[in-house]
Amino acid sequence: MAAIAIGESEWEVAIPEKPLKDKLYFENLKAKVIDTNLCSRCLTCACICPVDGITAVDGVDFPDYEAKCTDCGACVRVCPRFVYEPKSGLGSYIEFIAGRSKRFAGQDGAMVTELLVSAMEMGMIDRGLFAGRDEKWAIEMFHVRDPQQLAITTLGGTKYTFADVLPALKKAVRFTKRGVGVVGTPCIVSGVRKLQQEFPIFREKVKLVVGLFCTENFHYEDISRYLKEKGVDFDKLIKTDITKGKFIATMTDGEVKFKVKELEEILPSGCNVCTDFTAVESDASVGSVGSAPGFSTVAVREEPAKKVIEYIKEKGYADFGEADTSQLNFLIGHKKEREKNITKPI
Amino acid sequence: MKKVTVPEQSLGEKVVKHAAAIRVAMKESVYPLTATVFYPRERKKMPDNFRGYLMFDPDKCISCWECAFVCPANAIQMKEAPNKRYYPTVDYGKCIFCHFCVDSCSGGALKTTKIHDVAYKDMGEMLTLTEEMIEEPEIIREDKKLVEYEIDEQDLHLKRTREVDTLFVEVTPPVEIPMVSQCIEPGSCLGCRICEEMCESGAISSIIERQVIKMAIDRDKCTGCGLCVKECSMQILRLVRK
Ligand SMILES: Cc1cc2nc3c(=O)[nH]c(=O)nc-3n(C[C@H](O)[C@H](O)[C@H](O)COP(=O)(O)OP(=O)(O)OC[C@H]3O[C@@H](n4cnc5c(N)ncnc54)[C@H](O)[C@@H]3O)c2cc1C
Ligand code: SF4
Ligand code: SF4
Ligand code: SF4
Repeated sequence: MAAIAIGESEWEVAIPEKPLKDKLYFENLKAKVIDTNLCSRCLTCACICPVDGITAVDGVDFPDYEAKCTDCGACVRVCPRFVYEPKSGLGSYIEFIAGRSKRFAGQDGAMVTELLVSAMEMGMIDRGLFAGRDEKWAIEMFHVRDPQQLAITTLGGTKYTFADVLPALKKAVRFTKRGVGVVGTPCIVSGVRKLQQEFPIFREKVKLVVGLFCTENFHYEDISRYLKEKGVDFDKLIKTDITKGKFIATMTDGEVKFKVKELEEILPSGCNVCTDFTAVESDASVGSVGSAPGFSTVAVREEPAKKVIEYIKEKGYADFGEADTSQLNFLIGHKKEREKNITKPI
Repeated sequence: MKKVTVPEQSLGEKVVKHAAAIRVAMKESVYPLTATVFYPRERKKMPDNFRGYLMFDPDKCISCWECAFVCPANAIQMKEAPNKRYYPTVDYGKCIFCHFCVDSCSGGALKTTKIHDVAYKDMGEMLTLTEEMIEEPEIIREDKKLVEYEIDEQDLHLKRTREVDTLFVEVTPPVEIPMVSQCIEPGSCLGCRICEEMCESGAISSIIERQVIKMAIDRDKCTGCGLCVKECSMQILRLVRK
């Protein structure tokens, strides 16, 4: 008797070759990526690991791997740095524009928030993943399913700490009906693309990938300790920003300002080998350089993002202006230089 | 305003009604009709699907946790047994006797009884452990008669028979639709083989040949329990009709 044809009883899974033959895949990942300081802490591996064993407490690790790792190799299949092909430059784009949302407030022109909310309104996605924060500025991931949730004002705005976007993405993909929209730094965007390249489920369900321009990000412990030493009171902190080479922490009663160069001592090793400033693999990349203050610079790269931008224009949700790509050259060049920090693979 | 008055009755009608009342009064004084069951000497006959004290058959349990998830009163906690499997315990301090757990159990491991009269000394005792639900509890029975309620269009009658009802019901298991697990999205399989590890019936197998893992579900061995479907982190297994 023939079964209703919705599935297979027999199937095959191709698994990658192990550089270290008699070691587990996780040991390979550790040796090739984590121990060589290539790891970007994107947590793509943690997202896919079926036993949820990979954590990022003190660097990315799997404390219990000997007992729990099933040696499936999924982590090395998706890790963007296992076979590292550094990306750089401006990347390809359909349109390079400046935008300012009329509906939302954000870091710059709140175009990231606008893109995700508009995509939700259009029915392209039914949830957007936002990196919110608690009162101590530790990141909490939010699954936004209704624009009204944006009343939580801490959902927009830049947090200079690593966010667990991808572990949250796995959950989102599991529950979504229409699709998920996701935003992250270039390393996270690369992670999403790897997931999509390897697994059809992510191709089908992740509909909009918004990248952020990024020079570097920081470990929560490091940056909060550093800022405290600088006299930043987290209870009063309302905004953090990096512009024109300065880190600016705005508090309710004043601001703390210092050169970003000072932060080099806490620069994570994964960022030290990252050459991608503009998140070239995204559907749309958003940043602050390249446009007037109060505007976000948006590189519209792929069709889905173009559709959303057209929708925003049609509805008149945002003001648009000119963006100047040449202003990005310095930071693009600055990140390209980091290529020399990439050690040869073992 | 409407006034309520005594209905008009002829003398004849009045005589008939009074006579009927006197007859009932005399009958009640000789053979009183009560709606009370003289428990514990008598027991009311309960229907077979009465929602009473729960019994549990570990052989039929697949440790799927469905009962614990569905319980609206949070009365069910899963506890690890010596064989490393998880089985339900029931806290009767919380249980509201909805028997959602019985209905949710795919293997029919939880079943009802007609026991409704259990006394406890304290709240702690009300937490009933798995092992206490397997054996039929010992019951001191004093009842000699079985009472059935019968309702005709006139009245409620109690029918008493010299019978002792068994409190343990044999439930005929529901007709199962044979299901089998299948992979709906082979391309998204990680090859983690957690399904294989979970499968109680040895229906899922894998062979690693160089850089390929060959996964297979044996349709004949698969009992359609759905454990693999539940455990697959990529959510690519489904139960389909066999
Ligand atoms: C670590 C970091 C470094 C950056 N460096 C630069 C830079 O050097 N030059 C530049 O021009 N722009 C940089 N940006 C981008 C810039 O700060 C703004 O995020 C961007 O311009 C979008 O502004 P917006 O008002 O459109 O976004 P908003 O509408 O305010 O939305 C911001 C979105 O970013 C998400 N987000 C915030 N923090 C994080 C995080 N740590 N990880 C993942 N997602 C996050 C939030 O969920 C929110 O959805 C950086 C951003 C980050 C997170
Ligand atoms: S279980 Fe698979 S994904 Fe998780 S660490 Fe082991 S090999 Fe990597
Ligand atoms: S780079 Fe990302 S995927 Fe690779 S090991 Fe680090 S956190 Fe995991
Ligand atoms: S559905 Fe079949 S294959 Fe899956 S766990 Fe149950 S018995 Fe095993």
